[in-house]
Amino acid sequence: MFRLILKLAWKNAFLRLSRTLLVVIMIAVSMSMMLSIQGIYDGMTSNLIDKTKRSDCGEISLYNSHYRLNKNLDNVIKDAKGIEASLNERPDVQAVVRRLSVDGLSATARKSAFSSVVGIELDDEIAFGRFDQFLVDGKLELGKRGALIGKELAKTLKVHVGSKVIFSTQDSSGEINAMALKIRGIMQTSMVLDRSALYVDRRHLERFLGVSDTVATQIAIRTESSTLQATLQKAYPQLSVMDFLELNPMLKQMQDMMHIFNSITFFIVILVVFIGILGVMYVSVLDRIREFGIMRAVGMEYKYIRREVLLEALFVGVVGYVVGAILGLLSLLYLHHYGLNLSQFSEGLASFGLDTVLYADISPIYFINTFLAILSASLLSVLLPLRKIKHLNPIEVIKAET
Amino acid sequence: MFSLALKNILFYRGRSITTFVLTFFSALMFIVYVALMDGSHGSMLKNALKVYTGAIEIYKKGYREEGGNDYLIEDVASVEKVLSKVEGISDYTSRYETYGLLSSKDRSTAAMVAGIEPQKERKLSELYSTLVSGEYLSENSGNCLYAGVDLVKKLQVKLGDEVSFVGSASDNSFAADLFKLCGTFRTGAFEFDSTAAFLSRSYFDELMYAKNKASYITIRLDDLNKVDAVNEEIIKHLDSQYESVTWKVLMKSMVQAMQVDSIFGYISIVLFFVVIFFVIMIFGFINVSSRVREFGTLRSIGLTRGKIRLLLFNEIFILSTTAILLATPIGAYIAYYFSLHPFVMEGISETYKDYGVVSDEIPLAFNLFTISWNVAVIYLLNFLSIIYPIRYINAFKPVEASHHV
Repeated sequence: MFRLILKLAWKNAFLRLSRTLLVVIMIAVSMSMMLSIQGIYDGMTSNLIDKTKRSDCGEISLYNSHYRLNKNLDNVIKDAKGIEASLNERPDVQAVVRRLSVDGLSATARKSAFSSVVGIELDDEIAFGRFDQFLVDGKLELGKRGALIGKELAKTLKVHVGSKVIFSTQDSSGEINAMALKIRGIMQTSMVLDRSALYVDRRHLERFLGVSDTVATQIAIRTESSTLQATLQKAYPQLSVMDFLELNPMLKQMQDMMHIFNSITFFIVILVVFIGILGVMYVSVLDRIREFGIMRAVGMEYKYIRREVLLEALFVGVVGYVVGAILGLLSLLYLHHYGLNLSQFSEGLASFGLDTVLYADISPIYFINTFLAILSASLLSVLLPLRKIKHLNPIEVIKAET
Repeated sequence: MFSLALKNILFYRGRSITTFVLTFFSALMFIVYVALMDGSHGSMLKNALKVYTGAIEIYKKGYREEGGNDYLIEDVASVEKVLSKVEGISDYTSRYETYGLLSSKDRSTAAMVAGIEPQKERKLSELYSTLVSGEYLSENSGNCLYAGVDLVKKLQVKLGDEVSFVGSASDNSFAADLFKLCGTFRTGAFEFDSTAAFLSRSYFDELMYAKNKASYITIRLDDLNKVDAVNEEIIKHLDSQYESVTWKVLMKSMVQAMQVDSIFGYISIVLFFVVIFFVIMIFGFINVSSRVREFGTLRSIGLTRGKIRLLLFNEIFILSTTAILLATPIGAYIAYYFSLHPFVMEGISETYKDYGVVSDEIPLAFNLFTISWNVAVIYLLNFLSIIYPIRYINAFKPVEASHHV
């Protein structure tokens, strides 16, 4: 019996081919567009988060408890070297970097800008977050007087690889001090650092500022452990141990807003798709109302008719889903590999900390959610037509029209 | 034909209600969505222009690219003479900006120190109205420094404290002086509040050898919408060594950021429209396909294909027009109301201060032209949705249609 119903449902689903095709196209086009948009939006936020983690704070960062409110050399982590060494021994820590940072004024012969010099250890940074991948021009080297500069800061100062920059700031003794730096490379990392950072060799900066080689302003950690933050806070109560979200509430909010926006879009689209399927199924049932009347009259139970109509809606929905999933996957694969090139808006994108080419994320969850939503929409769309069939008087229906 | 269309609409209620409701919500959503997008962008721009940047600014050519003392306006009076003759300009003032180190007893920090004309500046920027403590500058306030609250925090000084300045004067000589903190301001633009400090030009010009010199001249207009026309007029009269640029160039990154935001906004709304278009088309198609025999009869009694087309066109015309006539005033009223009484999202300016968001208010934009084209798009989509059903029904021959099951 089930095979017969299955066969009937399949044939009826495609009985009015144009009508069914319109529904399939509607599901496929809207689904592929929805998947592409979701992929691009997720790609944008995950790209921002990834760059910020790799170039700045990792999953967890340690600071002197006063540093974030008052960024000066009085508020450094005193035994940063020792802490770094002990962190490196932990199995739940993947990578650690120790940085020394100071705010000041960068100037060329013609331009000046506020900036932060960040003292780093290049090899550690590469191990920490593939720092080499952020290089957009020049060479990844520091040396005694060399510096790497954030892309936006380079633009502000109108400098390029080979240019000289004078950085002035207050050293640990309170004196104003200046150092000449030669730009070796231009980096594109996260929004804040792109606008303000000049990366120099940490040892060179320690000497310039007159601080010991054991101090740091930040210790950043890469980890997958969810308990490490609490453990470290217990171990170092005098320090602020902050996770990525605490340090970047804006990115978290951005991610949440994107999620809410995608969910609302998803809901509205599925609702309209549901109305489309409902229309087609309702008319399809009305068209065949005599047929159902005859089926009831010859003794076919309501449950079999219900099963047939449900299967019919399911076929339409699933065919639409399969076509949409293929189109969506192709579109996502293209956007994942080649991206969406928005280079004509490069300055605008840079102000958001985004690259000029936006790449899409691909996640199985997109396809699972869409499948469940279309499945539900298809099944719910037959409730009204089924009500009509349930309350059917076979004799009246057969007599009604010829 | 029109009354027949009307009768059909009333008879086929399911299709009519669906088309009406979908058209109504599409139009309403489009008007409100675009008003919200344009409104938030407009508000960002307005806030940014209000704080410090002028609608138009005049520079010596090369200053914006190279900067430095070689590209200062050397004769401010002659440029101001030109500006006084251009219509559409409400106010203008010159600014002399330099970067230097400000130091208190214990702290030093880099800052942008600018010489301004205090009275003129009151009309051109938010500096006066954002006073937090102490007092604003006057023409004769001498070495009084008016600084952003976050800069003051960095320097750890209070009103009346002395702050030393080290920089270079307009002739590239070494310039150093002691200023007294007289007032603080908070515009909400974090970067500005943490880096900017001001003195009266009458005093600062002496220190910097900058009499009748300026980094640029900033201009406010009677009507911001006429910025391009006024700018063209200025350029016509301006000496060729100068350039006059509008906020669209000065704030290019913000303009582009808003364009990108708009692109994504429109991509999302296109998705809704595609789905809605299909559903309206499906319902139109279902309706037409269930009336094949009716159309066959109409054709048999002499109605041409053109008349059938007109009948279906009239049906969608009546449905779309009534839905849009209802949606447009409601959407326009929502846009108008919230343009006067913006949404307030507490804390948004704090969260997005790095992006230059300085206000928690998000107004909607009320623009009749925008509303008109929004509505026109929905109208067009509705008419496009009936093309396939018309082609489908007109493909039948009258006899074939009369016997269609």
